[in-house]
Amino acid sequence: MAMRIPLTARKPEPDAPGVRPQMLWSLSPRSDREAGDAIASNFMFHAFPAKVSKASMAWSYSFWLGTISAALFLLLIVSGLPLLFLYVPSVERAYQSVKDIEFVITFGSWIRAVHRIAAHGMVIAVFLHLVRVFLTGAYKNCVGRGQHREWNWVLGVVMLLLTLLLSFTGYLLPWDQLAFWAVTVGTNIASSIPWIGPTVRELLIGGRTIEQATLIRFYVLHVVVLPLGVGVLFAYHMWRVRKDGGLARAEREAVLEQPREVAAVPTKTYTLLGVARGQAPVIRAQALEAPDTTVNAVPDLVRRTAIATLGTIAIVGIMAVFIASPLEEPANALVTPNPAKAPWYFLWLQEIVTDTTIRIGSFTLNGAFVGGVVLPGLLIGLLTAWPWLDRSTHLAAGVWWARARTRQNIVFLLVVLGILALTFVGMELRGPYWNIYWPWEAWPDIPARI
Amino acid sequence: MSDAHAKAPPDRRDFLLKLGTGAGVAALTAQTAASLRSLVPNVSYDSPTTVKLGLPADFPDGIKFLADERLFVFRQGQTFHAISAVCTHLGCTVRAEALANAQTATVGGSEVRLTHRFLCPCHGSEYKGDGSNVAGPAPKPLAWYRLTVSPDDGQLVVDLADQVETDFRLTLG
Repeated sequence: MAMRIPLTARKPEPDAPGVRPQMLWSLSPRSDREAGDAIASNFMFHAFPAKVSKASMAWSYSFWLGTISAALFLLLIVSGLPLLFLYVPSVERAYQSVKDIEFVITFGSWIRAVHRIAAHGMVIAVFLHLVRVFLTGAYKNCVGRGQHREWNWVLGVVMLLLTLLLSFTGYLLPWDQLAFWAVTVGTNIASSIPWIGPTVRELLIGGRTIEQATLIRFYVLHVVVLPLGVGVLFAYHMWRVRKDGGLARAEREAVLEQPREVAAVPTKTYTLLGVARGQAPVIRAQALEAPDTTVNAVPDLVRRTAIATLGTIAIVGIMAVFIASPLEEPANALVTPNPAKAPWYFLWLQEIVTDTTIRIGSFTLNGAFVGGVVLPGLLIGLLTAWPWLDRSTHLAAGVWWARARTRQNIVFLLVVLGILALTFVGMELRGPYWNIYWPWEAWPDIPARI
Repeated sequence: MSDAHAKAPPDRRDFLLKLGTGAGVAALTAQTAASLRSLVPNVSYDSPTTVKLGLPADFPDGIKFLADERLFVFRQGQTFHAISAVCTHLGCTVRAEALANAQTATVGGSEVRLTHRFLCPCHGSEYKGDGSNVAGPAPKPLAWYRLTVSPDDGQLVVDLADQVETDFRLTLG
């Protein structure tokens, strides 16, 4: 590999082990120790382990969805920075400034498209990451010491919610019709909570109507509070992955193989113990350290991380050239678009709130409360608690379609499919007055005002 | 000396540690509470709830939609009443749709001609001409608001904070 860092003339490996021959590190190490040095002395790589199991790096195990999510988050920060200079969070000027970004500023529409596509992509990637972790039972602990993968799962669920909130708060900022009515519907769901609902809504939007106070609240949440939250939780998430001994997949070898005897290697420090030649100590190695199941993080893990990250950035960058971001008419509190739809990732909830108003005699429970608060609350609660409810064997950790988890995988997939189906109905089939229109049916002509 | 001396300080140290920790926690709590309280608005700059709507003579017989107030004003001769256009499900603005055949119904003890029904574009809730919810997720009828006549210039005035029963009518003499 030609990615060697140019040093002052590279010295040959010294004979005395344990002596650090050079200050800098290499992306194409010539020995295990150089590979270890690359991890230990590089700020960017210090979060990586020195060695990583081959199996856990397989594209077909994790699909690298976590890395892709992180890459999209990085891209969102980078593309959000120029937008921060251009966007004005005031109801008088927000729409005009987004219009300027879209039509006046050089590359403005591309930057906005990158930000928007990365945001939608992050919702998808984080959701798929959660689906993958569930289906592989990767939230389960296995044979390693001090594992608490269930907590990392909880962190992940919280980060999914933060991702949705980030996307939703960003949705309001252009202050167009799409934004205004999606947020009207979204915040009214909060006000359907019995007793405290109206107060919660007032706190959320800073008043009784969606106005300047709402815009500045959503803006600060979008650019400071929520990204900070995701950033901190992301670091915590990564730290836990290391503490838990890597991906759950990495433990398959440890589970399946007994520790075995391997020959002492002269470059390892135990030869320093003064053991005479020919009397090498017997080493019982876990499979995790065995050379046939693991590789050095530098360069293998670094290379794959780079491919996933750069690939994600490249794909989003190219998509942004071809997919324009919508900007509707300026927000108008007097005219509700027909139909008025929430952002696509909330459409399954909009479908549910449409159908869940419960009437028992004269007693009526608003569908907005049942479908917008109770049902999603139960779903998130169940999701969060699942690692403690899943009683299957630890051998099912890190295995796609483990037989011990067949039933829960099927139920989980059915819920996921149900959510996707409702999302599809909301996106494609709902027309004026929220009636069902098949794709081949034309929508009737309805005047915007009476 | 050393024994007595060695025993006493840990108690004082312990006390001071607890005092310090407690003070720190109290200070943090108070500052957090103060920061959060500042986000609760004390003054509302929302539009006022009592609005002049115009002279009664300007209202046609039948129905008139006022976009700014999101309100339908009904007139039958000299009798007026007003129904909110805010859907009770999630707050979208409902639309009036003229019925092919107007009906007459008894609402709140008196006869009312129902010429329209109301449909919500957000989730398909449907209301009858008197505001009662008949289909869709809407949990309750559209709100009726009190109408009065302004004493200074004779305009109709609605109070959007004063909800009334469906027997409310404003009859001008």
